[in-house]
Parts: sequence; structure tokens; C-alpha cells
Amino acid sequence: MRPQRWLPLVLALALVAGGCGGGDDDDDASPDGTDGTAAPGDDDAAEVDPSLCPVDALADADKPVEIEYWHAMTRANEEELIRLTDEFNASQSDVRVTLSASPSYSENLTRYTAGLSTEELPDLYQGEETNLQLLIDSQSIVPAAACIAADDYDTSGIIDRVLTRYTVEGIQYAMPFNVSNPILYYNKAAFTAAGLDPEAPPTTLEEVREASQTIVDAGVATHGISFKTDAWFTEQWMAKAGEEYVNNGNGRDARTTAVAFDNETGLELYTWLSDMQQDGLLVSTGTGDIEHYVAIPNNESAMTIDSSAALGTIFQLFDQGQYPNVDLGAAPMPGPASADGGVLVGGASNYIVNRSSDAEQAAAWKFAEFLADEQTQSEWAAATGYIPIRESSTTISPLVERWAEQPELKVAYDQLLAGADNLATAGPVLGPAGARGEGMRGAVIDAIAAMFAEGLPPEDALAQATEGSNEAIEDYNDRVG
Amino acid sequence: MSGRRWYRTAGRYALLTVLALMFVFPLYMMVVNSLLPPEQLLKKANFWVSPGDALWGGYSTAWNEGHIGEYLGNSVVVTTLIVAGQVVTAVLAAYAFAFLDFPLKRTLFVVFLTTMMIPFEVVFFVNLDTITDFGDLPLVGDYIGFDTYGGLALPFLATGFGAFLVRQAFLSLPRDLRDAAALDGYGHFRFLTRVAIPLARPSIAALGLFAFFGAWNQYLWPLVASTEDHRTVQVGLGFVSEGSVDQVNVAFAALVLASIPLFVLLIVFQKQLVRGLTAGAVKG
Amino acid sequence: MREALLGYALVLPALLVFGTFIFYPFLRTAWLGLYEQPLFGGDSTWVGLEQYLDEWGSEDFRNSLFVTVKFALFTVPVGISLGVLLAVAGHQRLRGIGIYRTIFSSTVATSIAVASVLFFTLFNQQLGVLTKLLHREGETPVLDDPRLAFIAVCGVTIWQNLGLSFIVISAGLQAVPDDLLEAARVDGAGAFRRFFRVTMPLLSPTLLFAVVVGSILAFQAFAQVDLLTEGGPGDRTNVLTYAIKTTALGNPPDQGAAAAYAMALFAITLLLTVVQLRFLERRVTYER
Repeated sequence: MRPQRWLPLVLALALVAGGCGGGDDDDDASPDGTDGTAAPGDDDAAEVDPSLCPVDALADADKPVEIEYWHAMTRANEEELIRLTDEFNASQSDVRVTLSASPSYSENLTRYTAGLSTEELPDLYQGEETNLQLLIDSQSIVPAAACIAADDYDTSGIIDRVLTRYTVEGIQYAMPFNVSNPILYYNKAAFTAAGLDPEAPPTTLEEVREASQTIVDAGVATHGISFKTDAWFTEQWMAKAGEEYVNNGNGRDARTTAVAFDNETGLELYTWLSDMQQDGLLVSTGTGDIEHYVAIPNNESAMTIDSSAALGTIFQLFDQGQYPNVDLGAAPMPGPASADGGVLVGGASNYIVNRSSDAEQAAAWKFAEFLADEQTQSEWAAATGYIPIRESSTTISPLVERWAEQPELKVAYDQLLAGADNLATAGPVLGPAGARGEGMRGAVIDAIAAMFAEGLPPEDALAQATEGSNEAIEDYNDRVG
Repeated sequence: MSGRRWYRTAGRYALLTVLALMFVFPLYMMVVNSLLPPEQLLKKANFWVSPGDALWGGYSTAWNEGHIGEYLGNSVVVTTLIVAGQVVTAVLAAYAFAFLDFPLKRTLFVVFLTTMMIPFEVVFFVNLDTITDFGDLPLVGDYIGFDTYGGLALPFLATGFGAFLVRQAFLSLPRDLRDAAALDGYGHFRFLTRVAIPLARPSIAALGLFAFFGAWNQYLWPLVASTEDHRTVQVGLGFVSEGSVDQVNVAFAALVLASIPLFVLLIVFQKQLVRGLTAGAVKG
Repeated sequence: MREALLGYALVLPALLVFGTFIFYPFLRTAWLGLYEQPLFGGDSTWVGLEQYLDEWGSEDFRNSLFVTVKFALFTVPVGISLGVLLAVAGHQRLRGIGIYRTIFSSTVATSIAVASVLFFTLFNQQLGVLTKLLHREGETPVLDDPRLAFIAVCGVTIWQNLGLSFIVISAGLQAVPDDLLEAARVDGAGAFRRFFRVTMPLLSPTLLFAVVVGSILAFQAFAQVDLLTEGGPGDRTNVLTYAIKTTALGNPPDQGAAAAYAMALFAITLLLTVVQLRFLERRVTYER
């Protein structure tokens, strides 16, 4: 492992050789599971200095301690977050949370990175899963593991895979909050009309192709599947195949220095996309936010892939009788199947900002804890369509009733639990994870767009995506030192 | 009317109408689409909405949940500050350049003109730091910092162009006027307010108009220097359209609402507007 | 002495604004380009001209420069030609021409943001009327198509500028004396000839103004790129201003690199003003 100049706090860590010692009282506080599964970080599981998180500072502070939470939830999700925050504020008198909304994750991050120089920062920050490395490198966050240790907080109730997602080199950096993953949305009415079994949606890419062909041949829709140009899906497919997306154990053993998706599986995926489009089975809807699912009532497609977080909105829009031709179904994301694979944990998590006063950091931890709490998660998942981060939240009200009423909401949860817990399914961690127009995701989006719009051959597209990503990684690593 | 002439006239109207369609069609679709329920926007191209089916809900959604009302209010405040600032600083500086003598006058005038060669897009990110620093100043910090009306207006309170325009107008006033005013015992202030400004009114009005359009239509600066609280309508539109992806009618309604103020101005003040906008183009 | 003091006092407010928000940030930007900024705040390192040269030599920069120049070369001539066409059409003496003139001015009442959001929605692959009219159902959306996105951005820009072009060129046209055209007609000059031999030369000061202002505005275009394409697809619409913004305020920000882009934009603006004035001055007929 190379020296981590960027992480002086690592100096304070004691590397625990050989996993967790039997007599260690802090077993439960260790971020990875204790059941001996091959969770990443087991080999170099690290303990973080609990003093990094001043959980006791709240006791001596003038109350209430006011903190600001920067989030990127919109509409129904934002409303629920406001409700939960009001509930939290009303439930105790130590901490007062003020919400500050950004219109998207990416703008929330821009606001945050700009704030690093202007010192306009929140006390708690909601960051998309791709922010992880960037936030570590910024040295502006308190590792959640420090708070967990300092507060003797029990993480054992949280789904291992969710914790793994936010753990790098053995340290859990963020407190999980809202989790989603991509699922298949499909029009059961179109399946029936095409003679397909509406209760047996495709599970592999070959089956998607076959179903698409049947749908197009039957004239039910002009294409089988509508596809949004989004780098996230290729990341998911690689994880489902059980393969790492970037090198150095998806960036979790050591800093990412190059992508790893330029392999046979990567080429298969790009080729599949390209062939599907060229054969008229897939309609590319570009980078727009809605076109891929609007294509379904428009009879331009009968399937699409999107985040489970969109489920509430999509069902509300298309399954309320406005479109007699649509009877929406939800199913696990079709793709490569592997025993070592599984969909990635998507969504966002909460970061405690270390530039705030001790009391504010402690207060931020209290609120992050509340948002990850069993009852909160049950309410949150019931109202939004995100999946709960605790198994126990699924057995209590209101989520039990909500899932009974709309079983589609459970698809993403089952899909997540079905996946293996390893480095591949932990997902890539890198500074320039990027978004449209920047970093690795930007390069992948551009390559796929060129494949769809200009007929760039899949091997060239893959090479272009690789080259663009590696350049971004190199630039970033140069600058981070 | 001879047949040939009739054809020619018809041809002229046909050309005019085709050209007019270029303008009218997008604007017409904007209005029609703002009144359609989202599901009618699918598939069939809807070029018409019967008054009975018109759905006005998009407007209230855009106004309330979309905050277009607040954004328009912010735009009015920021634009007013900028127009007032530009007119005042230009008149003052122009007066000095036109009627007063002082060392370095020519140099200073060249400095004023130089400002026109530095695009705002070159300097905006340093200005963002400046405004953010201003936010920490005692007393005034809350009014001129990041995400304040003052912060949005400050960088535009003076332009070299404005001083130039008004100076030209002042210079074209007859020299005797100043002398006559001096004989009447007019001081600088009275001469400026009683004689110079009234006589230079067309140029000052033109400057006000330029300032108004510039300020109202600004995008980059309000995008980077404000958040929800002080967002102007131009920037707000993007957020409304992003936030109403599944209700396209709301985005269209927001566009209509955002355009109404300028359309009213255009219709009411067309003549003055044309005269003002061409002030810089045609010397006459 | 008192007059001098008064003079300074009167120019002071404007000078303060210029100093704080134009000259200081300009020098500061130039200065920032000499330093390499660490990723997340902290002390910068002096690198001299190295960063400028690196950035200006980079493929990204050349692409942005190319896109920007192309954008100006496309939008300015097309926009002005259409403006001339509209002005000539609107100059006819016909019943109801006032209505047409109002319509031709109408985009003045929009803004580039309004136009961008409007066309963004009209171009929507599933809901947009333009997708249907252009028969692009089932094809890559216009704004995501590397071959079309640039043209679309130009088109929206031209459309939004039409009203202003019309107003400005119309005003120039009104200054063309009717008796001169009448004399040419008596001499047997056809409509085409009258236009190019009489109208155009007399219109040239106006057109010069339109070209200069249009080009400078074209190099400063930002909102349409931000709202329509975000610089994509594949950087095909990533004009300099947009690159400056995304670099200076990126994730994470890089003010040093942004400064190099910004200084290039400044140099171009300067050059453009000088060159255009010099070059066009000779061809412009000023006599009235």
C-alpha cells in the first residue's frame, strides 16, 4: 500500500491484522460484518481513532445546537425529509436541524467543493455514492466509523452490503441513508399483447433481446427497450457479472489508478447495446431524465431500466389509468448473472463535516443516526420508494403495509440482498467518478452516445471510454499528490 | 387591381407569413403546451387546445411550487438596482468628462473604455470569491455577499459604455448653454439636473433600456452567485424545467409567465424600444 | 482645484466598480493562471507560464476554441442574413405590415434562457413537437446527437437574436433614402441589383455594427449551452465560456486552469474587436 499523504488520520489508525480479534469488545462497531464473509476490508480492517468524532461535545454545549444539512432530495422525497426533520426537531431539544436543498446531487457536490475554499460548508452533507473518494481526499469529513466507535453505536442491524459500499481501506466513511438500485420497468400489457408471459420478464441480456424481438415483430411497440445513456447501468452490469470496474479492488485496497472495465465482459456489454440499437430493438433516449420511461406509454418501447428510487413517480404517472395501453411491472435488473455478482448500492449517504465545531459535529451525528434509525427508515422507505438500510425496518409499520400494497417496491430490496458481498459488488471508488460531461462517467456516456448516434463500433467505444476515464484518473491523482 | 399585381401582393404576404411563422410557431406551441394535460403531450402532435380542455393548473404549479413568482420578484429587485446604478454612475462620470477639466481626464476616459474589452465571462469566478468575501464584512455583509440582491447587482452598477453614451449626449449640447447657465448663477448640480439631464434624456433613456435588457436577461452571474433565495427568473426557468420533468406543461407555463413582463413592454413601448435599441447602431 | 476634485468625485463611483469587479479580477485571473491550485483549497504552487502553455496546448482547450469559433462563424452570418431578409420584407408598404413588424421583433421579449428552455422542451424526444415534425421518432434525441446538437444550439441562438437583428437592421434600412432607390429603378436596375448596389452599401455601417456586436456576443454565449446540452455530447458544444465555468466551479474546482481559458477568451475578444474594425472599415461606405 502506498503512503497516504492525503489522509493524515490514517496515521492514527492501528491496522488490525487478521480481522477482528475474538476478545474485542468493539466487534459490533467494526464496519464489516463479523460473519466471516469475504467482505472487502477484512484483510486490512482498520480501526479509526474515535476522538475524531466528538460525540460528547453535545453535553456541554449551549442548546439547542443549530446545524445545517445540505441535501439533494426533491419533491415527494424532499417533503418526506422535511417531515422527518420536523419530527426530529420536535422530538428533542438538543439539536435543531435546518435543511438546505440543492436541486441535484451534482449541484450539491459543486456547492460543497466550492465551500471548501470559501468555508461555507454544512454540518451534515448528503453525498451521492460517487462522492466518496472525493470527500475522503478533501479531508473535510469525520469518518462515520469514528462516531460509531466513539458512541458505541451498533451497526449490526444495517445490511452488510450497504456498509461495504461506504467502506474504503477498512474504514466506513459515511452514514448510509437512502439506498436504491436499478430495476427493470416493463409494460405487462405489451408483453401480453406480444404473446409473452407478463409474469416472467427477462432476466438476462439475451432474454431482453428475445423479448424485444418478439415485441417488435408483434408490432406492439416500435422497440423492445428504451435506454437512457447513463454510465451507472454499465457499472451495475459489471458488478452483476462479479467483475471490478476499476483497478486496485475497485479502489478499496488502494487508490484507483485505472479502469478495469476494458475487458471481455465490458466488450460484450457494449456490443450488446450497439447490436440492440442497430437492429432496432433498443431506442436510445439520450441523457434526458424522463424520455426512457415516457417511451413506454408512447408505444416506442415496452421495457426500460431506471433507478428504483423513481418507482413511486413512474407508477404514479403511468399506472393510474391515464394510459390504457400501460400496465406497469417491475422486476430485477436483467444482466449478466454470476454467483459473485450483484447490483450495486446506489443512492446517497450522510457525511459529517469536520470543519464545524465539536458540538455541531456531535449534533450532525445525532441527526445522521436518526436518519439511519429503524423506524425512520421504515417511514422513509414507505414514503419514497428507497429501500431501507435495515432488515428490521421491513418488518415494522408503515413499510410492511406499504410493501403489501405495492409489492414492486420490494424488488430492489430483494435484488440487493441476493447479491454477493465482495469488492466487485462494493462498486468503484475513485475521485473523478464524474457525471455527464466530466470524469469517468462523462467518458463512458460520451462513448455510448457516439456508439448510438454515430455508429462507433463497440470496441472503439470501449477504448474511447477507457482512455477518457484513465486520463481523468491520472489528472486527478496528479493533482491530489 | 390587375391580376399580376394581385399575385405579387399575395406573394409578398405569403413570404411575410412564412417568416412570421418562424417566430410565432415556437411561441404558439409554448402557450398551447402549457395548457395541455401531460398525457396529451404524448405521441400525437397537439397543435391546438380547445378552451374547454385547457388546463390552467400548470400556471399555478409553476407560480407556487415552481417559485416563478418569487423568481420574477428577485429579477425585478436586481434589475432595478442595476438600472438605477448604471444610470447614476454614467450620468455622474459623463458630466465630469464632458463639462469639467481635471488632470488625467483623457487617461481616465480611456480606462472607462477599456472596461468594454474585458468580458464578464473572463472575470466572474474571481468576482464570486470577492462577493463571498464581502459576505463576511461587518454590517453590510448580509446585503452584498453571496446570494444577496446586492451581490447580484454590484458588479454591474457601472459600465464604460454608459458613461460613453451619456458623455456623447452631453458633448452635443451647445457650449453656450453652459455659459448661459453659469451667468444665471447655476452651480454644477443645478446645471446637471435642470439643463443637462433633461436635454440628454433620449440617450439616458437608451442607456436605461440597455441596462434593463442586460440585467433582466442575465444568466451566468445569477446562476453562480445565488441560490434558491435570490434566484432570478432566467436562472429559475432551468430549475423549473428540471424539476418538472414529468409535467412538461408546468415548464411551458413557467416560460409563459417569465416572458409576460417583456412582452407587455414590447407591445406598449414598441416605438421607444426600437429607438432605444438602435441608438448605438445608427448615428443620425 | 475644486473643479478637479469634483471631477474625481464624479468618476469615483464608476471607477470603484470597475476596479473591484473588472480590473482587479482581471489581473487576479491572469495571476491565478501562474499558480497550480491544489484540489481542495490550501496553498497554490507557482508554476509560471507552464500552466498556461499546458492548458492552451491541451486537446480540450483546442476543442473548445474550435467549437467557439465555429459557433461565431455560424451564428453571426446566418443571423444577420436572416435579419436583412426580415428587414427587407418588413420594409414593404403593405396593409397590416405593422403587425408583421411586431412579430418580427417578438424574440426581443424572450431571452436566451427562455428560448433555450423552450426549445429544449420542443426537442424532447418523447414529448417535443419538433421531434415529430422532423420525423426523428425512435432516433437519438437531437440534443444528444453529436452531429446535430451543435446545429441545434446555433439555431436556438439565431432564433433568439432574430428580433434584435430585425430591429437594428430595419432602422438602418429606414435611413436608405427612397428617392435613391427610385432613381435606380428609373435607370432600369432590377430589384436584385437595386438591393446589392444601393441598399447594401448604405446599410453597411449598420451591418458592421451588427457583425461586431454579434461576434463579441457569440464568443460570450453561455446560457444556451448550459441549458441545452451542458457542453455535450462529447464536448461538441463545449464553448470556452462553458469550459471556464465548469473548470472554475467544477468538482473539484480548478481556478488556475480556468484562468488559462479565460485569458484566451479575453485575447480573442480583444483581437476580434481590433481585426473586425480594421478589416471592415475599408469596405464600409459611410457617406449618406
